[in-house]
Amino acid sequence: MARTRVERQPAASGTLLVVLVGLGIAFLLFMAFLNVVKSGNLFTEANLLYAALIFYGGAGALYLGFGVTGTERYVRYASLATWAGLLANTAAVAHRWYVAGHPPFASVYEMLLSFVWTLAALTLVAEKKYGVKVIGTVTMPVAIVGVVLMQLLRTDVHPLVPALQSTWLHVHVSLAMLAYAACALSFALALMFLIQDKMKTETFLAGTSLAVTAGYAGILTRFEPWGGLSVAAWDAAEKQDMFLSRGVRLFVTIPDLGWLFVLVALAVAAPFVCYLLAGWRNDERFYALANRAVFVGILAQILALGAFLARANGSYPSLDADGLFPTKLAASPFVLSGLVGGIFISLLYLLLLWRRTDLERLLPSADALDQITYKTIGIAFPLLTLMIAAGAYWANRTWGAYWSWDPKETWAAITWLVYAGYLHMRITRGWRGRRAAYFAILGFAVVMFTFFGVTYLLPGLHAYA
Amino acid sequence: MAGHTRSSSRRIWQTLSAVRTGIILLILVVICSAAGTFILQRPTTDPDQMQRAYSPQTLVWLDRIGLTDVFHAWWFVLLMGLLCLTIVAASIQRFPGVWRFFARPYRRPDSHFRAVLPVQKQISVLDAEQALAAAHRVFQKQGLRPQHIVDDNQVSLFAERNRFSLLAVYIVHTSLLLIFLGGIVDAMWGYRGFLALTNGQQASQVQLQNGTTRALPFTIRCDGAGQENYADGTPKRWWSNLVVLNGGREAQRKQIVVNDPLVYGGIRFYQASYGSNGELDKVMLAATPANGTGAAQEISLGLDERAQLDAQTSVRLVRFIPDFVVRDNQIYTRSNQPDNPAMQLEVTTKKAQAPALVWIFPQFPDVAHDNKSPYNFKFRDLRMGYFTGLQVSHEPGQWLVWAGCIVMALGLATAFYLVHMRFWAMVVRDERGRPALWIGGSANKNRAVFEQRFRRLIEEVQTELKQESQARASRPEASLASV
Repeated sequence: MARTRVERQPAASGTLLVVLVGLGIAFLLFMAFLNVVKSGNLFTEANLLYAALIFYGGAGALYLGFGVTGTERYVRYASLATWAGLLANTAAVAHRWYVAGHPPFASVYEMLLSFVWTLAALTLVAEKKYGVKVIGTVTMPVAIVGVVLMQLLRTDVHPLVPALQSTWLHVHVSLAMLAYAACALSFALALMFLIQDKMKTETFLAGTSLAVTAGYAGILTRFEPWGGLSVAAWDAAEKQDMFLSRGVRLFVTIPDLGWLFVLVALAVAAPFVCYLLAGWRNDERFYALANRAVFVGILAQILALGAFLARANGSYPSLDADGLFPTKLAASPFVLSGLVGGIFISLLYLLLLWRRTDLERLLPSADALDQITYKTIGIAFPLLTLMIAAGAYWANRTWGAYWSWDPKETWAAITWLVYAGYLHMRITRGWRGRRAAYFAILGFAVVMFTFFGVTYLLPGLHAYA
Repeated sequence: MAGHTRSSSRRIWQTLSAVRTGIILLILVVICSAAGTFILQRPTTDPDQMQRAYSPQTLVWLDRIGLTDVFHAWWFVLLMGLLCLTIVAASIQRFPGVWRFFARPYRRPDSHFRAVLPVQKQISVLDAEQALAAAHRVFQKQGLRPQHIVDDNQVSLFAERNRFSLLAVYIVHTSLLLIFLGGIVDAMWGYRGFLALTNGQQASQVQLQNGTTRALPFTIRCDGAGQENYADGTPKRWWSNLVVLNGGREAQRKQIVVNDPLVYGGIRFYQASYGSNGELDKVMLAATPANGTGAAQEISLGLDERAQLDAQTSVRLVRFIPDFVVRDNQIYTRSNQPDNPAMQLEVTTKKAQAPALVWIFPQFPDVAHDNKSPYNFKFRDLRMGYFTGLQVSHEPGQWLVWAGCIVMALGLATAFYLVHMRFWAMVVRDERGRPALWIGGSANKNRAVFEQRFRRLIEEVQTELKQESQARASRPEASLASV
């Protein structure tokens, strides 16, 4: 049905979007140029990042256009825009490296800079080498969110505290970035496999609903009495997190926001409940209800994001320390990225719901995707191993112990064990296809928890990242 | 009876060596370690925080089950031990089969094998021996080392690459055991402790994490320590000059900084912290005679140190308060930082019976002096005492751990990126009874790439055969002779 519609659509409708995006890029570049002429300094990091943002934005619009309409020529222009964005991004990374005198891995800002770069590069690799064209639909919005987030973070080159002055740090962090990027790729490929493996759209509905609910549950672990929501305090002047002591973040409580977040969590959990009811009562009508609930959930999430943005500016008390502490919009980039990520996941589900046949036509075959997923994990696993070993060696040189069961260390080990389990099941038990794909998804969920959850929820030595 | 015990021990062995057991243990380890990150752990949390986080009832139970120190609880150690056992058992159980495959490679394909091998090609040839020679040359050109296998008066070719990669799994598992062994060695014989030294101080025992002390086989002395700051005031570098004294002799001397420890006799000293200990090192003062005759003298005093001002008079520093505050008519110090220092001097003259006591407040220079003192004192500068915090550790097992890491990296690289490929070539009779060159190949991973490689090999063999027949055609007498 959808396929015939695409075939009926003439390619002419594609020109409009290309022209619009092109005009948009040109306009933004022109405005930026006027700004540069006024300040007289062309190649600053901020300008380069701005250029990268513009190009990534254009690429994202085109990839989305491709995902929605299936017009092949969008991809060509989207790749071009991604190349241009990557170029600007590379220049920004190089500039940063040159100014700071160390590879850009020391602060959250610098790591995001590197992460976005890796993501854009991997997108191009996946597209050119493996022919996974729609992957930009997923990665480019993430890159855009990353660049926007960078604008909120502390950008000045700040010197390294003594513990971070080590070559092993750079080895450790770059390996971590590569390994996590490979895990993310394997996750995306496993999802695509599930699409090609004719997994029911309703199952995706349940999965996305669960994932978003889990995100809100994570945020709500800091639900305080009287309906407050605690977020990590943010030093607005310094643009950095505040710490009570080493590794212990200072949390401030925003009143009443907690109740709203509970309501939103219920709204995003509703499609999952509908899914369960449909299975239990064996009634297809619940699926239609679930799809409506997704819309309500998206609206609720936008409401939550708006409320958070409105309330995050101000001074709030902390339960752990006396006094009021100011927070800013950027307060807790973790919560912010969680909220944006939730909306994004729900929108991806809508894309699947409406354009499934087009997606199936554009993706490689299920077998090929299964093989590529396995290969990606074959790259990620040795990288994870080396990352842990380099981290242990660094810890041994700095703290005098190669392993101290710090939460981040423990979770890195858990990640490693999960992927080790995947490899054993695949090699000795011949797990292929769906079960392997589930395992790859589980692995990435653990990676995300290690990266965000541990940093945000559990105290420990890894206060730097 | 004997049969019964044998069967039950066999069943235990089978359970231990099953992949399923390993996976179940893996899941248990994952669950327990995750619990250890969510529940506050005693070794890294101070007791007050534990009290605040859990109710006394809960805490008693958590302690009893060992959940407040998961990673040192007996059941966690047992779990890890069982995991090691399953790795060993599974490796031993599978080893004979793999070893047979490794030690006695399948060199000569029989007809059944030829029938089922997925990657193969049959080329019609004129002459059996020359075809085999051509295949031999092409194999060599591809960097393979073909072996001639003679059996039943028939010669066939066999070549392989990276047979070693068959054993990669064992390399990885051995490396894991090495790392565990290193951890066990450190848990049994290693220790970690802390040592705080001030300038010139020496120590021969360290405070361990469990509260006990442990004697070092030598003495360590601090000959100075310091901090360097960035322009914005954040610390850039901490350093300490350490000297190892062994049997009274200086055995080693090194300036350590964060990330660069001193190692002596397997014991490592790390720069961990640096700070003021609230004690005075030296205060610098200017003393001028109260009657106005004579120049100012610069003196520097430590606590309880005496300085001679002239033949009659001497001064002693009797009291130093880093952060002076008076509350309820008592003098306190608010902190160890010299934010509002105050010091009391005792000026003794031979003429006077009682010494004069003088307070000095550098923050409030206008506070009136005791005019019984024959000297007026002016504050110049002060230097606080500091301590350098050293992390001390003895980890004899760490070399096993590093060796394990390197072996594991090599093992994983072998397992994932080295492809064991095999090629066979022999002359067979096709269905019409004419000679044909049969070439087969197999690879244990990355089949798509291998098939391309195999196709290239076949093409080369075909061109080689064609060139040969052309060469023969240009030499008719030779071809006649062969007919």
